Amino acid sequence: MTEIRRDKWETASGLPLKPFYTSDDVPQWHREKIDAAPGGAPFHRGAFPQGYRTKPWRIFQLIGFGKPEDENERIKFLLEQGATGFIMEHDRNTADHLYDVDNPEVVARHEDVGLTGAVMQSVRDTEICLDGIPIESRFGHAGGGVVQHAPFALAAYWTVARRRNIDFSILAGTGQSDFFLTYLGCVNKQQIPTGPGLRLNADIMEFCDRHLPKWVPVSIAGYNGADTGLNAYQELGALFANLVEYLDEIKRRDSMPIERAAKACGGVSFRLAMDLFEEASKMRAARLMWGDLLGRRYGITDDRIRSGLRIHCVTAGSAMNYSQPLNNIVRGTLMGLAGVLGGIQSLGVSGYDEALSIPSEHAHQMSVRIQQILRHESNAAAVTDPLAGSYYVESLTATLVEKAWEFFEEIQQQGGFLAALDSGWLHARAHENQQADFLAQQNGEKVIVGTTHFRDDVSPFEVDGFIGVSDAFDVAMERLKEVRRTRDSARAGKALRDLETVCRGDDNIMPAMMEALDAEATLGEIGDVYRTCFGDWDRPAITQR
Amino acid sequence: MTNIDARILIAKTGLDGHWRGSSLVARALRDAGFEVIMLGMAKVDEIVQAAVDEDVDLLGLSIGGHYNVVERIVDTMRQTRPELPIFVGGVVPPWARKKLEAKDVEVYPPGSQLEEIVGAARRLTGVDA
Repeated sequence: MTEIRRDKWETASGLPLKPFYTSDDVPQWHREKIDAAPGGAPFHRGAFPQGYRTKPWRIFQLIGFGKPEDENERIKFLLEQGATGFIMEHDRNTADHLYDVDNPEVVARHEDVGLTGAVMQSVRDTEICLDGIPIESRFGHAGGGVVQHAPFALAAYWTVARRRNIDFSILAGTGQSDFFLTYLGCVNKQQIPTGPGLRLNADIMEFCDRHLPKWVPVSIAGYNGADTGLNAYQELGALFANLVEYLDEIKRRDSMPIERAAKACGGVSFRLAMDLFEEASKMRAARLMWGDLLGRRYGITDDRIRSGLRIHCVTAGSAMNYSQPLNNIVRGTLMGLAGVLGGIQSLGVSGYDEALSIPSEHAHQMSVRIQQILRHESNAAAVTDPLAGSYYVESLTATLVEKAWEFFEEIQQQGGFLAALDSGWLHARAHENQQADFLAQQNGEKVIVGTTHFRDDVSPFEVDGFIGVSDAFDVAMERLKEVRRTRDSARAGKALRDLETVCRGDDNIMPAMMEALDAEATLGEIGDVYRTCFGDWDRPAITQR
Repeated sequence: MTNIDARILIAKTGLDGHWRGSSLVARALRDAGFEVIMLGMAKVDEIVQAAVDEDVDLLGLSIGGHYNVVERIVDTMRQTRPELPIFVGGVVPPWARKKLEAKDVEVYPPGSQLEEIVGAARRLTGVDA
């Protein structure tokens, strides 16, 4: 064991820390904001004064594995346990790449199928996955974290709603189509370039604006940047750099009022990592930056929009350790607490077996229990923005805002967020932080209990990791054949040709995507249209070497 | 840095594009002087073929999927080049770790230190012999 040696006192992002703080440490520009009440400018204190008293955070866990019926069962289980929404995970092999299971790339790894999410190749699979779940009254995340998958995942969910005669005007839920996941954290074998990706996201925003007023069309997930290595202020700066790409695109199209576009982009997610006060302050900084940016750059004066940032958080997967996995229950609690203290609206706590496998039923249940203990036992949710006025937290909030805007400007100098992804500039920032983190562990500057130090484990509890579902591939193959055999093939063929025409032009792709799903076109067939029309992203070398 | 006369092939077994782990390991091995060939996401036969064609001294697998795929790679490799050492990293459930270790595959789960992994590479390629 390396000796514990701490001579540098700083936050996880490397911001230097004093032994204690006084009012002099809060910069003048921020000091005048401290006494503002939640609900109004400058917005960092929260969307409204009552906070969690009238609107508790959503217990929102990622769920998915195996066959659609396996995922369905786990969603129902978690809703029974007290989850107040659900996030559908799709099988990465098929969904992220828009491959059907009979694609040679998938067949070659058939045992992997269903390990990280259910296989949903046509709307029939999504119907099985959502069977018996009242989507008209539950807030659902349709999946589609990866940009090219989002239109399919959303159209599948909405088609299920339409087949159940649910009015689109009441359907609430969220999409994702996250650039951080797609182009930074998880660089897949095949992916449409960032330009067409931006187009698809703007199309989804417009479609929701016209037809699904309660749906969150896209959700920028700083989480995926942070868990790839971006630090707290880089995560903030990059998230806002991403946001302006979306809003500038909508402005360029002039297809919806900028206020409504801002509202559409206002559901975001951040990562919660182990630095308690830095993470809580990050949420306050995010709300302040959001209100400021909308006013300054887009001239939005409506305080309901400027105070309307809705934050979902996930506790850092990378903070969950392989050794002594029960310690991760404590880590999940601390990270969740940071989010609650920071006033977030929605939370997912990673499973304690995160580093071992996808969550077992027990780990999933514990994630919900942690959230319930935070909400009902800790009393942390009784008062809005409970850290306000702390010299330390106010100073940290202000510093994060300053550093995040600097990073935002650096990205602009790279040509903007998309350019910084295309060139690999952002990947390099993440990569250098990862290396520094490992070096700190090696030097004994960073302690991870049970991993770098205190490695004796006397726990009687063995955690063996989830085994998976062995028939996911075979069942998916049967269902693929079935859908191709029994659908109206003329209608499906026409829908795919129409989709291709739209993809090659400028019209919104979502109406054609809705028809393709209702005509029971498959994931791989839609992927083939994309591959023909949009081509493949030229990945930054850093992710490949 | 002294160059080490040993080549390591690193491949990802699944179609999951999370690159953070394999790229950190590759960088650390290069910094230690190894020649590292990154194959990226590759199929079982592509990985085995590359290990033969490139005449590598060590095979590193970044596990982004199910144990059974890794098992097929290991079993095929043992038939093709039985002497080639193999180590793996990534999300490996304890039950899969036991099976791999029984096949003489070294496992470096999350939390493994880069210096441990570099040390293993030196030992497995015989640099330290």
